Amino acid sequence: MKKVEAIIKPFKLDDVKEALSEIGIYGMTVTEVNGYGRQKGHKEIYRGAEYVVDFVPKIKVEIVVSDERLDEAVETIRNAANSGKIGDGKIFISPVEQVIRVRTGETGTEAL
Amino acid sequence: MDKKNTDIFIKKRETLIGQFLSGDEPEFLEKHAFVLDEYFFTVFEKSITARKMTMAGTPFAIIALGGYGRKEHCIHSDIDLLILFEKIVPPEVEAFLQELLYPLWDGRFEVGYAVRNINECLEMAFERFDILTTILDARFICGASLIYTGFMEKFRSDLAAKHLKHTLNYLYEHGEKRHFDFGDSTYLIAPDLKSGFGGLRDYHTLLWYAKIKSGIKTRRDLEYYGFLSHLEYLSLTESLTDIWKIRNFLHSITKRKCDTLYFEYQTELAGLLGYRFKNRQPDVERFLGDLHKRLDFLKQINQIAFEDILGTTRIGKGTIEFRPTKIDGLVIKKRRLHFSNTVAVLQKPDLLLKIFLESGLRKIPLSIEARRIVSEFLHLVDDEIKNNLAFIKIFKKIMSLSYWEFNVLNVMLATGILEKLIPEFSALVNKIQYNHYHLFPVDKHSIRCVQIINSFKDHSGSATKSLYYSVFNEVRNKNILFFTALLHDIGKSDPAKEHSKTGAKIAKPIFERFGFNSTEVKDAVFLIENHLILIKTATRRDISDEETAVYMAHKIGKIRLLRMLYLLTVADSQATGPKAWNEWTENLLKDLFLKTMGIFKKGELASKKSQRLIDKRKKNVIRLLKEKWREDEINTQLESMPKRYLVHVPAQSIAGHIKLYRNLKGKDFIWQISKENNSDIRTVSICGKDKPGFYSKIAGVFFLNNLDIIASQAYSFGEEHVMDIFKVKPPKDRIFEKEKWEKAQEDLVHAINDDHFLDNALDKIPQEIQVSSGKNPKPNTVRIDNEISSFFTIIEVFTYDFPGLLFSITNSLYRSHTNVNVAMVATKVDQVVDVFYVKSLANDAKIESEQELALIKKAILESLPHITAKEMNNEKS
Repeated sequence: MKKVEAIIKPFKLDDVKEALSEIGIYGMTVTEVNGYGRQKGHKEIYRGAEYVVDFVPKIKVEIVVSDERLDEAVETIRNAANSGKIGDGKIFISPVEQVIRVRTGETGTEAL
Repeated sequence: MDKKNTDIFIKKRETLIGQFLSGDEPEFLEKHAFVLDEYFFTVFEKSITARKMTMAGTPFAIIALGGYGRKEHCIHSDIDLLILFEKIVPPEVEAFLQELLYPLWDGRFEVGYAVRNINECLEMAFERFDILTTILDARFICGASLIYTGFMEKFRSDLAAKHLKHTLNYLYEHGEKRHFDFGDSTYLIAPDLKSGFGGLRDYHTLLWYAKIKSGIKTRRDLEYYGFLSHLEYLSLTESLTDIWKIRNFLHSITKRKCDTLYFEYQTELAGLLGYRFKNRQPDVERFLGDLHKRLDFLKQINQIAFEDILGTTRIGKGTIEFRPTKIDGLVIKKRRLHFSNTVAVLQKPDLLLKIFLESGLRKIPLSIEARRIVSEFLHLVDDEIKNNLAFIKIFKKIMSLSYWEFNVLNVMLATGILEKLIPEFSALVNKIQYNHYHLFPVDKHSIRCVQIINSFKDHSGSATKSLYYSVFNEVRNKNILFFTALLHDIGKSDPAKEHSKTGAKIAKPIFERFGFNSTEVKDAVFLIENHLILIKTATRRDISDEETAVYMAHKIGKIRLLRMLYLLTVADSQATGPKAWNEWTENLLKDLFLKTMGIFKKGELASKKSQRLIDKRKKNVIRLLKEKWREDEINTQLESMPKRYLVHVPAQSIAGHIKLYRNLKGKDFIWQISKENNSDIRTVSICGKDKPGFYSKIAGVFFLNNLDIIASQAYSFGEEHVMDIFKVKPPKDRIFEKEKWEKAQEDLVHAINDDHFLDNALDKIPQEIQVSSGKNPKPNTVRIDNEISSFFTIIEVFTYDFPGLLFSITNSLYRSHTNVNVAMVATKVDQVVDVFYVKSLANDAKIESEQELALIKKAILESLPHITAKEMNNEKS
């Protein structure tokens, strides 16, 4: 099993959610996060005062999928989150040792 | 141990609980206490150890404490017992406790007990206030009643003689601490039924106070001794009955002593308590609405208790009296506002509102009596007085005095006068939205919004706070802002989905009633109808795209509306709860606001004139193309075009560009050359994929082919394409014009594929040019404006015309890692002002670094030829 963490632009969340549900992935964890990456923050001026937005608001979507479904899931996220511009985000993939469903005690892919 | 006795007790109790849960036992609490009493009585009666102790001259009393003492203990509440001896506590008591308590512990009851003599008990009671309050509720169960009465007499006389002030002080401070620790139950998603503000403890506090002060025995005495009015007593009984019922059901489903009404139990409880889906409102929301009403009442009970405690003893809370009020008919007594008498109210009904104004201005709370009078004299607020301008003015002023620490509007709501003034508001009272997102009932949320708007008057704190402060100060008509804050959710009275639209309709007559003029009403209706648009756009649209801000500016239309909408959105989100408001949303919203403001201030794209122009152009384009394409197809295409393009390009050309774009079909670019009527100029429209340096490469290719560029514009076209328009002087050799263009087209293909294809052309750019205009030619100037647009760095180049000028500048821009998104190039005689809207290629945003900007400026200046004046004699010759 693999954990897929995607950092995307906030306004792309609905697209990603929809695309994932189209391939049968409904469960995901969504977090509002702040990015400090290549895409730097910026400043705005109002009435002579500077207002700095020093981080870039992003969304983190986390899903865990079986190894067989990994490529499909990653491709789906990539397509949905892509606007062709800088700051579209990144996808991180890491191995997951075990998954246990609290209620039933099911383990492995059954618990996904 | 008598197992049989225990079994009988457990069985009886279970039957009783069963009856209660099925709704057949209205007297549950009383009977629950009785079943327990019966158990203790039986054990005591049958116990040989107990008899032995009594015979040996050490009789004792079994006393119920706390909730059990009050006969108010719920299904899994603790059972608190006191085994009280007069002087000596004999060792045999251990054996008796085994008989008495072990069976209960085995049955998993939470039993707490203490074995003490009278003196120990008194000592501890006055040392530890939690013990003292349980003794206030003590009730004799069985055993030596004289010991109990003796103890209680001593306890009461000691309390009155030595510990009164101290105890009251404790009651007050403990109450404050409890409210701080547990929060206001009416503002929590999982309210604490016992300890929160509005919980049962607030009633206990009043009861304890009355017991301390007047030695009352039961709840009923609260009315008999004048602590509560008859109506208040009735409401208290109703509220307690409901809350106890909920608490018992909560204990039953959680199978433990659980007093926090967690979110996940709320739906189940609503069903168990018999709530049903009605009037399009889910059962759980109706259940929570009723509960909030009860909790709200207990909050009032608490205020009565606190005020009475303060009135009895001047404790800690500052003893300086306020200076007298100047309002005729009002007085300040014991740090509370009172009506001087009820006759004054009858004569001057506007006092009913003035008292709130004075309360807000001076931050002095209304006395409980004054609240009672307001509630009971509401009929005086008739239509005549409601339409009185002076009366309305007072209300408007009160709105601006509602703060978090001291909220007059909440008191107005509690007394019913707010609903009297705005009857439509009644539908929001205790209206719950059952989800994790909306923390408060709609009425409380709306009042909180007004409060938050008021908090913008304070600019201390973060930079963003100072932005709110500055925007708030720019809002001229603050009354509109306050009223829209109070009424923005008025549409939620109807559980239909689009509450903003419904709300705007409901709010319109309210604003008219309050004497707002037609422009103000229009503004208010707009704000209410669109109160979600900013937050939705900020979180769901690409705010780094200029078009988003332009769209927003068009939708809002006026700067004053944008300012008010921004503050309203901030207040609304903050008042909703932590899920709706955090640093993340705050930043997105701020960004969108500042960017939209930028579009307004620049005027180019947001003015009414430009909007009209765009609308007209769109219509014309549709007219020109409708024979070939469906209208919705053309519309979609037009929607994807930047506003700047629609403002600057005529309809005829736009129609041509759409045709051109449709023929692009995967190619890198496609162009169309047209001849202008009566002129020797060619217009080259080029549609291509948006690749870095594309614009510069076209300029280079034209230069390479000796095609002189007179003017040019560049625009983005949809998401991934560009539309560049060049006005060019045709080749000198007209016979082979077609071939020349074909050659240029081939060169452009090469240039796109080979970044160095045009390197040779650079060498042909002149090093020096001579100009004849005036004696002292102006030097080349590059001006960078990074403030006017939130999206682009704007670079203006002032120079004189020369072959390859545009290529020279745009090549420098490209080599400095910027992309030209918009260009406006025009030549007047030989003077040139070229304007470029560029973004950094690295992050697709405007260039923020001063260092980078300086480098770009330097690169452009170095690429330009040296300017010298033509010598005078040359000119003459």
